[in-house]
Amino acid sequence: MYNRIIRNDMLKSKFITVITMIFVAAAAMLVSLAAILVVNLSGALDNLMTQAKTPHFMQMHSGEIDRERLVDFAEENRNVDEFQVVEFLNMDGAQITLGNNSLAHSVQDHGLSVQNKKFDYLLDLNGRIINVSDGEVYVPVTYMKDNTTKVGDVAVISGKEFIVAGFLRDSTMNSSLSSSKRFLVSNNDYAELLGHGEIEYLIEFRLKDYSLIGEFETMYASVGMEANGPTVTYALFKTMNAISDGMLIAVILLVSGLVVVIALMSIRFTLLAKIEDDYREIGVMKAIGLRLSDIKKIYLAKYALIAAIGSILGFILSIIFKGVLLENIRLFMGESENSSYGLLFGVLGILLVFLVIMTYVSSVLKRFRKISVVEAIRFGTSQEKRAHVNRLTLSRRKLLSTNVFLGVKDVLARKKLYVTSLVVLVISVFIIIVPQNLSNTISSKSFIQYMGIGHYDLHIQSNNPDQTDQIVNVIDSDHDVSKYVVMTTKTFKVKMNNESEENIKIELGDHSIFPIAYSEGRAPASEDELALSDINASEMGKKVGDMITLEIGGDEEDFTVTGIYSDVTNGGKTAKGVFHDNSTNSIWTIISVELSDKSLVSGKASMYADEFDFAKTSDIDEYVSQTFGSTISSIKTASYVSIAIALVITILVTLLFMKMLVAKDRYSIAVMKALGFTNMDIRVQYVSRSVFVLIIGVIVGTLLANTVGEMLARSIISSFGASTFNFTVDPLSAYLFSPLMMISAVLIATIIGTSSVEKIKISENIKE
Amino acid sequence: MNKIIIGEQIVKSFGEGKERHKVLDRVSVEINEGEFVAVMGPSGSGKTTLMFALSGMDRIDSGKVAFDGVKLSDLGEKELSDIRRTKMGFVFQQPTMLKNLNLLDNIILPTVRDNRKNTTAISEKARKLMKRVGIGDFEKRDITQVSGGQLQRAGICRALMNEPKILFGDEPTGALNSKSADEIMNILSEINEDDGTAIMLVTHDAKVAARAERILFMKDGIIVNETKTSKFARKNLENRVEKINLKMRELGI
Repeated sequence: MYNRIIRNDMLKSKFITVITMIFVAAAAMLVSLAAILVVNLSGALDNLMTQAKTPHFMQMHSGEIDRERLVDFAEENRNVDEFQVVEFLNMDGAQITLGNNSLAHSVQDHGLSVQNKKFDYLLDLNGRIINVSDGEVYVPVTYMKDNTTKVGDVAVISGKEFIVAGFLRDSTMNSSLSSSKRFLVSNNDYAELLGHGEIEYLIEFRLKDYSLIGEFETMYASVGMEANGPTVTYALFKTMNAISDGMLIAVILLVSGLVVVIALMSIRFTLLAKIEDDYREIGVMKAIGLRLSDIKKIYLAKYALIAAIGSILGFILSIIFKGVLLENIRLFMGESENSSYGLLFGVLGILLVFLVIMTYVSSVLKRFRKISVVEAIRFGTSQEKRAHVNRLTLSRRKLLSTNVFLGVKDVLARKKLYVTSLVVLVISVFIIIVPQNLSNTISSKSFIQYMGIGHYDLHIQSNNPDQTDQIVNVIDSDHDVSKYVVMTTKTFKVKMNNESEENIKIELGDHSIFPIAYSEGRAPASEDELALSDINASEMGKKVGDMITLEIGGDEEDFTVTGIYSDVTNGGKTAKGVFHDNSTNSIWTIISVELSDKSLVSGKASMYADEFDFAKTSDIDEYVSQTFGSTISSIKTASYVSIAIALVITILVTLLFMKMLVAKDRYSIAVMKALGFTNMDIRVQYVSRSVFVLIIGVIVGTLLANTVGEMLARSIISSFGASTFNFTVDPLSAYLFSPLMMISAVLIATIIGTSSVEKIKISENIKE
Repeated sequence: MNKIIIGEQIVKSFGEGKERHKVLDRVSVEINEGEFVAVMGPSGSGKTTLMFALSGMDRIDSGKVAFDGVKLSDLGEKELSDIRRTKMGFVFQQPTMLKNLNLLDNIILPTVRDNRKNTTAISEKARKLMKRVGIGDFEKRDITQVSGGQLQRAGICRALMNEPKILFGDEPTGALNSKSADEIMNILSEINEDDGTAIMLVTHDAKVAARAERILFMKDGIIVNETKTSKFARKNLENRVEKINLKMRELGI
């Protein structure tokens, strides 16, 4: 009997059943996709880093190297499992041409390497260790993704021709956030090109017990091992590899959570309307002594069926779409060994959605207890409570037309009824604005200030201190330059709390010219002040106002920590100071330049690049787009998808809501018509209701997006180094286009949803 | 005497296929300006359907209805609404008030739709009408805070706001006790006599019909009989009620 009741019921309300199912399917699909992505990302990442045997500790170093001392250090340290020094032959981008494309404008550091013997292997796209022959070059996979080159192309490196034999995955430098890229060539070819570039060393260790990495780092620094360059650990490699896809997953998770809420809301809404419809029947069933649980069963069974079909549909959709989303992970990291677990977790996620829905339906059905038998049989409907907004009367209204007034008044009088639709609209606005603001924030020029980079147009990095003056002379006499600053980075020893010593890289210069954003405190201004990057501050346990002791030229000097900032450069471990020092050589010098005319930027960049061929000139926009480009594009895609999802949700929910409202209000509509209100009048009233609720929804949603949303986004972004930031809002898009899109969606849905107003006949509804 | 409504050969059916049946079968009827007409008949005889057809609230299958010289079947939904709002008034058995609005707002509702700016004058007019029908003190009350009889009076005020040429009533006293019913009928008679508003009432209550100057008797979708009474004869209500009951028995209604 249940089957028949459910089937009839669904056939009678096809539209509502289908929409509810779509929401469940969307929620299930997103949850399942998020689960599949998480499992695949972590699996593929582990797989890549295991196959490649990623170093646990890597010290980049330019300059002289004492191999014997390093070997001794490695042998003496009991925690060292394996050790190697890898050469990275730094080539200027202009020296590399892949197919028809030169890498002259790339902001990456490009270098040649040979295959490693012990660990840190470069892998092909099947995850195998590459065996490269003479005359062949393997190119970083990122150049396959952006279509710079393809297998079989001719590559020219410093005049020597190679055939692009394939692409490589590099577990340490795959990420676009990593600023270096390795090209793999044979030992013979490497030897041949040795004189054409500068050698940088990668001093790499694998540890027996990775949990003791902190101790190892301290030890490495305290004995004064080579450290002229960034230090990176296994954990950071992992983070950098995971960031782009991780952010995508975070956005999907956020949206899927919200869609689940929306699915629940629309279920609540349809369920309450259904209870309202069946009020008399439920009362009669109660009156003739049927148990509440029996009545509940009918409804539960119906929603179990809807939720089950929706979930299965969602799962199938997630299987269809996962390919697109996994593409990036597959390309950069390969297949996950445990990809079948992905499906398992997807199924678990969907089961969770199903259970949540059923629990929710069951809790909504508790309302049955409140149904009064007498009321149900006498009136056939619940006696709806209306708030009486007495101050708002037709006889005293000044501004609104009668129809608009009636619409607004209805919303105010039946607030409870409109809450569901309001919640959905608030969520939709939230889903539209947050990813959009996030995407804007990341792509805005000022965002890099939150990442430890100032707001300038160009930077020129020179690793040779002797040549810095030459650059400064040219810049200083260039009339197009409005201001510039020279920053010199040097390594010092810092005393840790436990009396041990570690290396710290300090950027020296005037930090007030191109200020960055400080999460706490301010930039150093006097000789005895220092600012620390987030990671350094937390590792050293320092706060603003604390003292810190550096060893400079053999003497110990005390500094006050004036500020803490986020930094994504140099492994996130940097410091800033203004003191002068002649005791030690600089690792590199960066000259940051602002031009008076922004249109000159790219021209100047290539001009300086030609003029200072010993240094590296980068256009900051270019730098940002190449470094964060893939992350930005992931977020941008997510934000477009979010907009589409939110609009579809808005349209469907409004449609659903309007259809049910019209059905519920048949009687008052008939009365209005009898009194001479036209169909258009009545539809204007409904549009006023929708728009009124929408306006509240847009305001609340926007407020929430800029507060709670910003907090959420902050927690996502802090995962890659920037701990504090404020949304960069594009006001036109966030406060004009987005609300306009919402209004159009709501209007279209209301117009379609209220079309049945015309079919309501006075004679059928005003029955005596 | 000018005819306010002319209905000729009106046919109206309900239902689909085999279940389709004629509710009005070639009914012709005329109502003069200022006339008070009652339509009587058993349930299902077609009296309410006739009212809906004559007022343009429902489309007819064939035949013709003209209101104030305008053929209703030629008009669109919008024009029909305009006519109902500006030239007709309606009083139903149930009070048909909007729950969101107080009594005064319900009364002025159809009128302020067109005259947004004159709300104050319109409200004043409504207050006068409310006073006239004895609900002057209730303007701010919610519709749940007054009795059925008071609501029906408010319904009459609403119907009169636009000074209609004709007032349609569908069992306007059907849901009231006899005292309230008498009071309502007194008001309607007064409106008819003093203001010259034509009235068409659908009722199965002889006491209500006795107030009318002409009574149409309906059965199975056709008008089977019609009686006319002078104003004088209507003064003796009891006598008239008896005559109507007799007539109904005669007609088998």
